Amino acid sequence: MIRTERVSFHIGTFRLQDVCLEVTAGRYFVLLGPPGSGKSIFLECLCGLKKIDSGKIFIDGRDVTLLEPRARGIGYVPQDYALFPHLTVEQNIAFGLRVHKYSRGETARRVGEAADLLGIRQLLSRKVNGLSGGEAQRVALGRALVLQPKVLLLDEPVCALDEITRQEVCSQLSCIQRHLGLTVIHVSHNLEEAFSVADQAGILHQGVLQQVGTLEQLLRRPCSEFVARFMRCENVFCGQVTSVDIQQGRTKVKVDGAEISVAGEHSGRIKFMIRPEDVLIHPYSEGRGRGQNEICVKAVRWRNYGSYVKVELEGPIDLVSHLTEDVFAELRIEHRPDFLAVLRPDSIHVLPV
Amino acid sequence: MDSPLRGWRDRIFEGAVFFFVCVFVVFISMLIIADVFYIDKKAVVTVLTSRFIGHALWMSIWTSLVAIFISLLFAVPMGYALSRLRFPGRFLADVIVDLPIVFPPLVVGLTLLVFFSQTAIGRWIQEDLGLEFVFQPKGIVLCQFVAAASFAIRSAKTAFDEVGRRYENVALTLGCTRWGSFWRICLPLARNGIIAGGILTWARAFGLFGPLMIFVGSFRGRTEVLSTTIFLEQSVGNLEVALAVALLLIFVALAALTVIRIIGRSAVVKL
Repeated sequence: MIRTERVSFHIGTFRLQDVCLEVTAGRYFVLLGPPGSGKSIFLECLCGLKKIDSGKIFIDGRDVTLLEPRARGIGYVPQDYALFPHLTVEQNIAFGLRVHKYSRGETARRVGEAADLLGIRQLLSRKVNGLSGGEAQRVALGRALVLQPKVLLLDEPVCALDEITRQEVCSQLSCIQRHLGLTVIHVSHNLEEAFSVADQAGILHQGVLQQVGTLEQLLRRPCSEFVARFMRCENVFCGQVTSVDIQQGRTKVKVDGAEISVAGEHSGRIKFMIRPEDVLIHPYSEGRGRGQNEICVKAVRWRNYGSYVKVELEGPIDLVSHLTEDVFAELRIEHRPDFLAVLRPDSIHVLPV
Repeated sequence: MDSPLRGWRDRIFEGAVFFFVCVFVVFISMLIIADVFYIDKKAVVTVLTSRFIGHALWMSIWTSLVAIFISLLFAVPMGYALSRLRFPGRFLADVIVDLPIVFPPLVVGLTLLVFFSQTAIGRWIQEDLGLEFVFQPKGIVLCQFVAAASFAIRSAKTAFDEVGRRYENVALTLGCTRWGSFWRICLPLARNGIIAGGILTWARAFGLFGPLMIFVGSFRGRTEVLSTTIFLEQSVGNLEVALAVALLLIFVALAALTVIRIIGRSAVVKL
């Protein structure tokens, strides 16, 4: 288990502000955030490579705030892997064991086990300079795992890899984490990466931990516009409450040229979001468009992303919808640009003020 | 060959840069060849059989080797400190390290002479501690150290700068102390730069002349080194002998540089 209490750190004008985080033992946590948000710095603070200004860090209930990196019982894989170029793969993996003065037999046994676990036994005699990205990543992971750390900290571990290798390594990371029962904190800016490994995730922005939860929570119930947009929700709107229906528990909000009904009772100006996959599109027919949350829109652009088709819609409010290929084909958008976008009130999430 | 395909413009560019290499190498070679043709057999025999010149050669070799050893002893920790540590006065220390490089060499000799003969602390070192430097062989080493150590320190700092901190950071998480990460990671990775600095330092120390004339003089069989022998022989009109000594100096320097480079290259291959 790893827990931080109001961890703050500054370097130049950048500030990591009061980061409170708790990752339960044996969970895979992904810390998401755009470049420059302070993810790597936070990881280095956890490692003890940066001395924090204030706050506390606990690993397995032990206060490690003032401990040196070597005494924290963590495994660390930096972004560029930092394999020691003057050593072979085997020497890299065995490095920590040699520092801790393990016997030759024990060192060989553990290196062998790590190599087998990661499928890199054939690389052991190689120099690190000729390794591919995926191989280097596995060697760096082996070097960190061979000391059997309680917590594994991975800084953008797959960002330099191609798509296929990235998927392979992510699934391998997930398997290893479950197999060894490790607590993992994995830093990334890539949402797909998080979806392939995370039990839990958090979003860091400008040194502030915005939200922590399951990916489903981050997707459906973001705490801010930033989180919503980071989770690739383009449909974020700001509007003025016009009426509240207390009996039905609904609020009507005026947004540009449309009136949207949202669940719950609200007042004043509010921000709300609806995920693109929740924006339903129906063919337009005369006389419609006056129902609740039915908006006449025109499809202006669309692009197939493989697993879904992104359609940009213009109307009283501009919307983005993600459709399956089947639905997209059925709608025949290229022949018929006018549609009705339907926003179900229970799919709309009002962002906290 | 992994070089890219070249057009005629590239060939002209490569030809132009190669031209400068040729001019320099040919010019320096011609200077040496001119010396070889100038000297006669008698001068060579004199140089090879002279006890004093043999002593000067020995003095040049051992003093420069001791100077390079002491220089590296300072250069490695100083280079690391200047590269990695943030301490008050670091900027000033950085500037002072470079001072002996920009000093006219004579100034090194003059300042050493003034320090050891005119200041209380200098006299205390010489008289009370019994560490005599002025006009002594030990003074040659000190002179060479002061004049040349900056090259070693500067090279070591640059070499440590080029070793990414991430390597050391990872080593720290794998159980190393700061010393351990320095010894196991930083030093091996900076080795080539330090060796290059050592070559420069040795070359500077081996050929040092001006400061030695002022600080230790050139006493036959005592404080004479090859560079001062050339001056002594030339000043008494033995130009052929002076040139023969110069060629000996060049030969020894060339041999030493070749050996150091081969050692350095094998170190690179091992890396």
